[in-house]
Amino acid sequence: MPSWIGQSFRRGIVTTHYPRVPATEDETPLTARAPLPPAGTVPPAAIDACPVGAISDRAVDQGRCIRCARCLAHGFRAAGPVEAAVARREELEHPGAPHGAGDEAAAPLRELGRSLHVFLVDVGSCNACNLEVLALASPYYDSQRLGVFLTNSPRHADVLLVVGVPTEAMVEPLRRAYDALPEPKAVIAVGACPISGGAFRGNPGLRPTLEGIVPVDRFVPGCPPTPIQILDALLDVLGRARAGE
Amino acid sequence: MTRAGWRLVARDDFTRTPELSPAYVDPAGELVLYNDLATGEAVLVHGSPPDVDDELRAAWSSTARVGELRPLAPRRPVEGYGTFTFPYGPISMGVPESGRFDVLTYGERILELTPIGGYKARHVLESVTGATVRDAALRIERLAGNFSASHVSAFLAAAESAQGAEVAVEALWVRALAQELQRVYNHVHVLARIAEAASQNVGAAQAQALAEQLLRVQGHVFGHRWLFGALVAGGPAPRLDRGGRSWLAEALAAASRTFDELWGLFLDSRTFVDRIQGTCPVPRDTAVRWGGVGPTLRACGVAWDDRLRVPGLPYTDLFLALPDEKGGDALARLLVREQEVRASLLLLEQMLERWPGSGAGVEPAPPSVAAGRGLGRVEGPSGDLVYDVTVRDGTVVALSGRTSSQANWPLFAAGMRDAVFTDFHFALESFGLVFAETDG
Amino acid sequence: MDAGGVVLSAAVAGFFAAAVLAVVRPKLGYAVSLAASLLLFAAAVEALAGGAVHGLAWSGPLSDPEGLALDGLSGFFALAASVVWIATSGYSIAYDDRRSPLLAICFSLTLGSIALLVASTSLLLFLLAWETMTVASYGMILQARGRPDRVFSAGFVFLTFGEASTLFVLVAFAGLRVGTGTFAESPLTAGGVLPTLVFVAALLGFALKMGVAPFHMSEWLPIAHSSAPSNASAVLSSTLTLAGAYGLFRVLSLLGSPPLWWGAVTLAIGAISALLGALFAAVSEHTKGLPAYSTIENNGLILVALGVAMLARAEGLTDLYVFALFAAFFQALAHAVAKTALFLAAGWTEHATGSFDLTSVQGGVKRDERAGFAGTLAAALSLAAAPPLAGFVSEWMILESLFQSYQFVPAWVQFLGLVAGAAVALAAGLIVIAMVKFVGFAVLWDPRGAVSARRSRGLSVPIGAVGAVVLGLGVGAPWVLRFLAPAVSAFAGRPASAPVGGLLSVPNGWSILSGAPFGILSPPMVPIALAAGAMVAVGYHLLGRRHRRGVRRSPPWMAGSAPGQPGEVFTSFGYSTGLRLMMSSVLGTREIRSGAGPVRQAELATPVPYSVELEVLDVFKLFYDDLVRAAEAISSVLKGGVMTGRLGRYLAYILLVVLLVVVYVAAAFA
Repeated sequence: MPSWIGQSFRRGIVTTHYPRVPATEDETPLTARAPLPPAGTVPPAAIDACPVGAISDRAVDQGRCIRCARCLAHGFRAAGPVEAAVARREELEHPGAPHGAGDEAAAPLRELGRSLHVFLVDVGSCNACNLEVLALASPYYDSQRLGVFLTNSPRHADVLLVVGVPTEAMVEPLRRAYDALPEPKAVIAVGACPISGGAFRGNPGLRPTLEGIVPVDRFVPGCPPTPIQILDALLDVLGRARAGE
Repeated sequence: MTRAGWRLVARDDFTRTPELSPAYVDPAGELVLYNDLATGEAVLVHGSPPDVDDELRAAWSSTARVGELRPLAPRRPVEGYGTFTFPYGPISMGVPESGRFDVLTYGERILELTPIGGYKARHVLESVTGATVRDAALRIERLAGNFSASHVSAFLAAAESAQGAEVAVEALWVRALAQELQRVYNHVHVLARIAEAASQNVGAAQAQALAEQLLRVQGHVFGHRWLFGALVAGGPAPRLDRGGRSWLAEALAAASRTFDELWGLFLDSRTFVDRIQGTCPVPRDTAVRWGGVGPTLRACGVAWDDRLRVPGLPYTDLFLALPDEKGGDALARLLVREQEVRASLLLLEQMLERWPGSGAGVEPAPPSVAAGRGLGRVEGPSGDLVYDVTVRDGTVVALSGRTSSQANWPLFAAGMRDAVFTDFHFALESFGLVFAETDG
Repeated sequence: MDAGGVVLSAAVAGFFAAAVLAVVRPKLGYAVSLAASLLLFAAAVEALAGGAVHGLAWSGPLSDPEGLALDGLSGFFALAASVVWIATSGYSIAYDDRRSPLLAICFSLTLGSIALLVASTSLLLFLLAWETMTVASYGMILQARGRPDRVFSAGFVFLTFGEASTLFVLVAFAGLRVGTGTFAESPLTAGGVLPTLVFVAALLGFALKMGVAPFHMSEWLPIAHSSAPSNASAVLSSTLTLAGAYGLFRVLSLLGSPPLWWGAVTLAIGAISALLGALFAAVSEHTKGLPAYSTIENNGLILVALGVAMLARAEGLTDLYVFALFAAFFQALAHAVAKTALFLAAGWTEHATGSFDLTSVQGGVKRDERAGFAGTLAAALSLAAAPPLAGFVSEWMILESLFQSYQFVPAWVQFLGLVAGAAVALAAGLIVIAMVKFVGFAVLWDPRGAVSARRSRGLSVPIGAVGAVVLGLGVGAPWVLRFLAPAVSAFAGRPASAPVGGLLSVPNGWSILSGAPFGILSPPMVPIALAAGAMVAVGYHLLGRRHRRGVRRSPPWMAGSAPGQPGEVFTSFGYSTGLRLMMSSVLGTREIRSGAGPVRQAELATPVPYSVELEVLDVFKLFYDDLVRAAEAISSVLKGGVMTGRLGRYLAYILLVVLLVVVYVAAAFA
């Protein structure tokens, strides 16, 4: 139909060139970057200000941060790297450390070649992370150009993207989904909720993390992480060059 | 707890008429809120609810026990040769969240559809007991991320009503601005989802691109794409100074032009319209009797919108036209959303022109009473949200509510009778239901 | 009488002896039938390979010679029938556990009468055997287990159609007698309206027996509406219809060159039957009704091939004529064998689960039942025309002959060929649905994963054997066609050679050629090609075994829900409902709801239970119901008005007839 074609030409191409170029400012709003303490010291007022207890006097646990930005009023700066996905949970407590090169846990799934099929499982999210994952397929990010495809069935998938804090009712379905993936497979925990419970840490009927349910290969902090950050984690699993490498 | 536009009635003086639509049922059984569609008033009935159906109460209850799954609409037993019930979910294709649908069918045709919720029960409303209002708001924001501004606004309105607090005008305007931005995003997102279900891939991509644009606008102005922290003190400072407002106005004008073009192309596509015309029709009587809300209700010909009734927010000073649709099917719901997009963009334009204040951050209002109970209502993107909070000394003592999805699930189940399998996704997306806010 | 004739006569006599022995011991009767079938098979092979076989001969009424003999044509049908009977008799030995010998008696009588009519050389003997066959099969149907009124009414419908068929066949044979002057089967050379009369009467009579549209009710109703025993159903569906086909072929072979419209009518009837049969099969829920509908489709295909052959003969296209005849014969053979296996499988399932309902029969396959499963699968796939099975070859041949309808000169014939081809193709698609349904729900699928009812091994092996035959017929099709050449020659009245050849490095005689030149198919090459491809896969597997992770079994994905809850699985009914709704105008689909309030609106009243039934019907049955009503009305009028039961009235009728005879005789001699 000519009118759709005309409209498309007028809109032009809006797809980002990430990861060939770094993430732009409108792809990365203020709260997309993790808050970092100033010059290594943690102001005591910030410890009380954090509603999820992510800040202690020795370290800041980025896995717990729900990006409420309250610590920004107490000296913290939103200066963390955009590419914050890590392979080990401990690395989130020491942000800024380089990605573990040569680390077996961080090894990419080379057998998959150049493409990755991804299946989303929501175990108890607020829906924001779901929509950020779905945005990967939208024209602005177009993950398909990098070989990352969203699938409708775990049988077709290589990677399980888990969002949300695990509820008791979703433990078995998640295990079944993990079991349905053929090997080689990987699990990526997206957002603060599956990493540490997010804002709902300690609520009744919830598991604290995904530990004991499925093994996790990558952790992407954020609340929610932006599509760029999720894409970065997927590229890491795939073994493709990430931005900044 | 009284305010203009509300009518208090004692239980013994109350008689239920057909034009009274239930809006909220207190779990402790102390009061029931009705919308009087004839007069436009909200009717608050004190005392244990006279004749609110048990099914309604069960369908609206957000506090499921740990691990308990419950039907979100009443089941109707059907038997017949060759019928069977299969579970669609909780992790089903095409439904991005987790929730199950029990489909009773004899093949191809849906005889009964029962949505089952509770898979995502995080017990949010229970867990904020004992927290300060500010901390509670952090969790309420993350009840349903894409409706965060509306949920927080409703909660804060209830808390402020309970505390007798006076809120700065600019703070209220920021709330309205945030809500309207999210409303536009959500409606465009619904359009994208329906287009994708109809395999209108070019149109869906264009709509997704527009939705992403709006998210980026929200991220730029409020520092967070989903407005987390935007309306609560201590969050990132919004960019609403003169420069920020003119940037926002330009961005919205561009979005408005794109939307106009997009919408025209969609409506021209006969195949697209065909898929949603007549799909999942909801009769007016059902919607009223079961307390339907939002674009779903307005698509049945009921002109109820909280924005025209809730004081404080600036809607009553600005021009807001309600959509005029009566079809009750998926097409009518989509047409209502389209008209609301235009109305919201117009509201935003007016707000930005007449902005009261300099664009500083929001500060919490000081309470004037030590303890109290308040009701807050706003019109969320998918409908009316009600919060009922009791506060003492700045701490939440009790919190319950009724979300827009909880009210509309029974309508979805009713409309899906005698539909065919392929209608399912169109119907579901046209309602804009969110399991996260259903399960609490 | 030659050696083959002795065997033939012994076979025919053996069946009747089996009927007598069955009075004392039913299983002995079946065993003797099995032996007689083997003898018949031997005689048929001799007739096809070594020339005609002549058995007993005697002089019949009006001194017309009668006797038993097999020429190429009857040899072929005897061959097909005997293969079916070998399997079915063997199966019956294990299957029939009744105390009453009636089933065994009627079984053997049916077999004997069919053998007699195929072997008879005289029209009178044929007719006698025809009638005996009808009565014996009626007896078999009455042995059904079920509500007596339904069993009786189903049997009565069968008998009615059977007698109507006898009536038309009688008319046809009378015409032949008048035309040729003898009851012996000899060609009709008279002209005028007689050949047309004979053809029409024969077509009607034998089409009634074959169960093609618009008479298909005679096929599906007795089988589906009564729970007739499965060995009976196998014989009814496979060989009764084969007898009908034989009769039609025999009469046509006596009639000489047909005018164009005969072939057109046959083609049209065949195409409609094929389509209707396939459609009804795809929406059937009865383990025996489904194969019964498939029989309607297959007999329709036989008529399609025969119709093309007759058209080709009328147009003088000898290559197409011969090819289409081979197609018809091969189709008859492939169907008879495969259908037997399907009915035996239905009986096998019924034996284990006690049910004929596809929706409730769900049985998995255990280790020592694999022969039965493999046989059922092979038979079902053959009927669904999957390579390299027999049904695939016959379907290919029929479609190829239809493709060549461009060779016909008159435009309307070409158009008819086109439309018939489209109908046959559509039927082929629909029957795939039906066969998947049958194999999936009746035999294969066990959702509970638990041990279900054990099936009898004695029933499993014959099914497996038949399946192997189906596969053999398919892979060895070129040689089978050569073996059948005498049958085609006997029918065509001139020597015909099988359309086999070789091309493109396929050895000569391994391919079937559908025209010169038109199409080519090499059935033996299909398994060879499959094996070659499989070897590549196996080689890849063996070479790369070091790098692979091994096998992991994972439960089916049910969207996160626990798999295998009872009741939460697709029923056989649900599988076909899409088709019921899509074809609602042809099937007369309607939904009946009861016990509910406002059900057509999206009304959310308090949950009131209701029940819903989705029904389809055979629209042709409505015609027959009307016919029955009309017949009853007329007969009651006659009863009330004419046959009043008063003596005076009857005396008046006698007087009237005497008067008329006197007048006629007087006029004749005047």
